Amino acid sequence: MSAVPIHARIDRLMRRLASEPQFPTQGQTIFVDLDRQEIRRAYIPRRVVETFLGGRGVNMYLLHNLFDPSLEPLHADIPLIFGTGILTSLVPSASRGNVTSWSPESGVLLDSNAGDYFPSFMKLNGVDHLVLYGKARKWTLLHIEDDEVKFVDAAPWVGMDNLDLRAAIARDFHGVEGKDYGLAAIATSGENLALCSGIMAGPKAIYARGGPGAKMGSLRLKAVVIQGRSADLTPFRPHKTRNRDVAQKLLSASVIKNAMKVRGTPFLYKPSRMLGAMGTKNNQETTWTDKLDAENIDPFRPGMEGCFACPVNCRPLNDMTGCEHTPQDQYVKGDGPEYVTVGKFGPNIGISEVTQVLRLNNICNDLGLDTASTGSAIAWAMELMQRSIITSEQTGGLDVRWGNYEVIERLLFMTAEREGFGNVIADSSRAADKGHYPPEALDYLMAVKGLTQSDPHDARILKAFALGLAVSTRGMDHLRNRVTLEINAKINDDPDFKRELYGGDVSAEPNSYGGKEIAVRRCENIYAVGDSVGMCRFTTKLFNSPTLPGYEEFVDQVANITGIELSLAQIDGIGLNIMGVERMINAQLGVGRKDDTLPKRWFEEAIGVGPYKGEKIDRNEFDQMLTRFYEISNLTADGVPRPEWRAELESVLTS
Amino acid sequence: MITVRLPELLRDGRGEVVTMMATSLGEVIARLGLDNDERDELFNFAVNGDLVLHGEKQVVLNPGDEVEIVVAFSGG
Repeated sequence: MSAVPIHARIDRLMRRLASEPQFPTQGQTIFVDLDRQEIRRAYIPRRVVETFLGGRGVNMYLLHNLFDPSLEPLHADIPLIFGTGILTSLVPSASRGNVTSWSPESGVLLDSNAGDYFPSFMKLNGVDHLVLYGKARKWTLLHIEDDEVKFVDAAPWVGMDNLDLRAAIARDFHGVEGKDYGLAAIATSGENLALCSGIMAGPKAIYARGGPGAKMGSLRLKAVVIQGRSADLTPFRPHKTRNRDVAQKLLSASVIKNAMKVRGTPFLYKPSRMLGAMGTKNNQETTWTDKLDAENIDPFRPGMEGCFACPVNCRPLNDMTGCEHTPQDQYVKGDGPEYVTVGKFGPNIGISEVTQVLRLNNICNDLGLDTASTGSAIAWAMELMQRSIITSEQTGGLDVRWGNYEVIERLLFMTAEREGFGNVIADSSRAADKGHYPPEALDYLMAVKGLTQSDPHDARILKAFALGLAVSTRGMDHLRNRVTLEINAKINDDPDFKRELYGGDVSAEPNSYGGKEIAVRRCENIYAVGDSVGMCRFTTKLFNSPTLPGYEEFVDQVANITGIELSLAQIDGIGLNIMGVERMINAQLGVGRKDDTLPKRWFEEAIGVGPYKGEKIDRNEFDQMLTRFYEISNLTADGVPRPEWRAELESVLTS
Repeated sequence: MITVRLPELLRDGRGEVVTMMATSLGEVIARLGLDNDERDELFNFAVNGDLVLHGEKQVVLNPGDEVEIVVAFSGG
C-alpha cells in the first residue's frame, strides 16, 4: 500500500470538521505541522462527540483518520495527538488527558494517560486536541498563549532532563507550573528515542506507555508550554452544585479517605505479596520481602501532592535527606513512588531496600523513563543472563544480575543515552526483534501485543485480571480494564451486589473463569469513558471502589457543562465504541485474536507459593472465556467489531 | 485462642493485637463489629498470612491461628 501524505489526510479530515464550537466549553482541535511551521484549527463535530465524547475517544477518531499503516511509528507523517477530557479541569478529579499515536515500542496503538496540569491547561486555553506531525527542522518548543501558537527554538533546553528542564522553563517563561502554565516535555531518553521513554507532564506525572517520549523526540519536539487561562469555559448550565456531590462522593469513599490520601498506591504491595501474586524476578517467583510494604516507606514521605483541582492528593513525595546509605544529591528527594514502580524496581529486579527503590524512582522521573517498561526490560535481561541466553559479552561486561543495585542505577543513565547495553534496554520489548537477543529470548518476555506488563501483580490467580491484560488494546496494561474488586471478599460474597455492579453473574471465586468476561466488559467500558471525560482512574467507579463517581455523575456533568444529554446506556455504549475503534486501528496492523493472549509462562508454569499454589492459566478455559468476551462485546471471532456495528462506527469515523 | 492483628484504622481504642475465642472468621468479624452492610470494602482478612478472597465467614479457625486485617485495594 502506498503512503498517503499526512497533509492530504488532514485536508480530507478538515472538510468534515466544524468551523465553530459545537457546544459550550468546546475547545479547538489544532493541527500543527512542525516541519512547515503551519497551524490549522477546527472543531470536532457534535456527532463525533456523541459517539466518542473527548480525550481518548476523540483521539482515536483522529488517529483512525490520520494514521497510515504502510509507514513506521516514528515516521513524521504519523501524528502524535494530545487530547483533554470533555470535563477536564471542570469537575473535581477530572484532570486527565491522553496522548495517542502508533507505538514504536509495542507496534500497536499507543495511548497513554497523564494528569498533573498539562491536560487542564489545554482545556483552560481552549485546546481540546493537539495534533502534531512533521519533523521540525531543529529542536522546537511549542508555546501556546492567548490563542497564539509559537514555534520557539528549543536549543536552550535540549539535553536537559526533567528536573533541570522544569526549573529552566519556570525561569524562562516567568511562571509557576500548575498555576501559570502546563508543560509536557521529553527528557534525554526521548531525545535519544528510547522506546521506554515517556512524555513528562509534571515532576513525576508521565504519559508513559508505548514510547510516547520517543515519538515526540522523533518529531524533534522538546516541549509544549500552554500558558494562561484564556478560554471561555462558561457551562451550558450551572454545574457547581453537582461538583460538590462529586467531591463529597470522592472524599467519603474509604479507599480515598483511608488509603489514597494517606499513603497512595504503595499500599497495594502488601496484599499482592501476601496473595503470592507479586511479580518477582520477571515473574519466575511471586512473593517478596515485607521490607517494601507501604508502612516502611512512611519515614521517607514528607507529604502528598495532587493534580489540578483534585481534592484527593494521592501522590506521595519522598525525601531521604540525612539517610546515610543514600547519596545526598539531586535524587535524594522526589515525587512518588507509585505501586507500579515499587513492584517493577523492587521484586521484579530483586531489590529489597526501600531507599534504593525510591532513588531509582527519582532517577527514572528525571530521565523521563516509564518505570513499567524500563523495569520490565531490565528484568527480562536479568533472566536472560540467569539462563545464559545472553552473557557479559552482550552487556558490555555489566553484571546484570538480580538485585545488583549499582549496575541497575548506571544502566538507567546508559538507557537514556542509548549507551552500551543501555541501547538494548532502550529498545525495551523490541530488543529481540532488533537483533540484540536471540529469538528464544521471546519465551521470557512478559508482554502482550508487544507491551510489557504495567501492574506488577502476577495475574495467574485472578482470571478477570488475566483476561483484561490479554484483551487490552494497548497491550499488557491493567489501567484499561482491570477488575480490581476481584480480590475483595466482601463484594465476592455478595452475589446480588456483584450482579448489580457488573450487570451479570460473575463467579465469586477469583481463580474461576466463570462470568469474568462480564466484569471485564463493564470495566473496559467505564474506564474508556473515564479517559474521555478526563476522570482519574483512581477515582472512577469500579476501580478500587464501587462507591466512586461513575456514569451517573458523568452524564449529569456532561449535560450541565456541554448541553449534550446522554442516557446511562448511551454513555456505556460510548465506552464500547472506543474499544471498537481501537480494535479497528489495531486490525490494520494485523492484530487479531492470536494477539489477545498472555505470556507463555502463565500458561505453562504454576504459582509456587501462597493460598493459590499450583494456579496457572488453563489454555482451554482461557480460550472459552475469550470467546465469551468477544460475544458480549459485539466482536467477530477475530476480535474486531461485527459488520453491522463496524458500519455504524465507520459512518461516524469517515462521513 | 485466636490472635487478631488490626490496622490503625480499625483499632478504635484497641491495641494492635487482640485475642479472642473463635472457631470461624465469621465469628471474628462479628466480634469486631464488622458484620454489617456498612463494613468498609477496603479491608480483607488473612489467616496465617494467606489472604481470604471469598467465602470469608465460612473460614474455619483453629486455636493459635493469626488473623490479620489488610488494607487490600488493588488497582494502582
